[in-house]
Amino acid sequence: MDRGIDDKTILDKFAEDFVRVIDKHCKYIIVSGFVAIAHGRSRGTEDIDMIIEKLSKEQFSILHKDLLKNGFECMQSEDSDVVYEYLTNKTSVRYTRIGEFLPEMEIKFAKDEIDEFQLKTRKKLPLTGSDIYFSSIEMNIAFKETYLKSDKDMEDARHLRIIYKDKINENEINEIKKMIRRVRMK
Amino acid sequence: MSGKVREEHKDQIERWANYVREHPYEWKSKLKPFIDGQIIMARRFYSKLAETSEGMEKIKLLRNLNS
Repeated sequence: MDRGIDDKTILDKFAEDFVRVIDKHCKYIIVSGFVAIAHGRSRGTEDIDMIIEKLSKEQFSILHKDLLKNGFECMQSEDSDVVYEYLTNKTSVRYTRIGEFLPEMEIKFAKDEIDEFQLKTRKKLPLTGSDIYFSSIEMNIAFKETYLKSDKDMEDARHLRIIYKDKINENEINEIKKMIRRVRMK
Repeated sequence: MSGKVREEHKDQIERWANYVREHPYEWKSKLKPFIDGQIIMARRFYSKLAETSEGMEKIKLLRNLNS
């Protein structure tokens, strides 16, 4: 579905510019709040959450330098070794455009079989009008209803259920919920 | 949030979600000012805060709060 460039929000443009760089280096997915917002959910967010496949220190250094070259900076450090340390310690790192406080891209390495599964089943979602890979709608709903569960997350899930009401695979959601309980909630 | 307000809030979320679903070409232009507005206001605020004494220190604390 094409929309005019003028319809793109600041978040859309930031996300698209960022993934254009990331896409050259590794597999990624956008997850959580921005998935709902990109589907019209009317709520605020300060950051966009991204999971990327695990990279070696050398691969990450090339990606990090490419991000800096393209006008982004990392809040944690300019030094890719330091940023890599955060990521391998399962801590997220945040990038913004140079000199801007918002929005932020919060990045994590894939950390378990659920993240690997999310990367494997990633999708572009035409309704969003964005050329970005997202984790599947079923995955987002399952996470929000089973694991995250704040009011905001439950509302995001409700919103996505309405948007995709004829297309949602309930069996898949239930299977993903089982996987979340087994891997993340044991 | 009280029960009644919560229910009304839920209704509003459903009404808007149905609008998005039924108006795939219109919803984004309605949402854009809202999404952009929050970021523009926050940026303006942070720029002003940065100009104050200890502003950058406070910004660092705020950013750590969100991590």
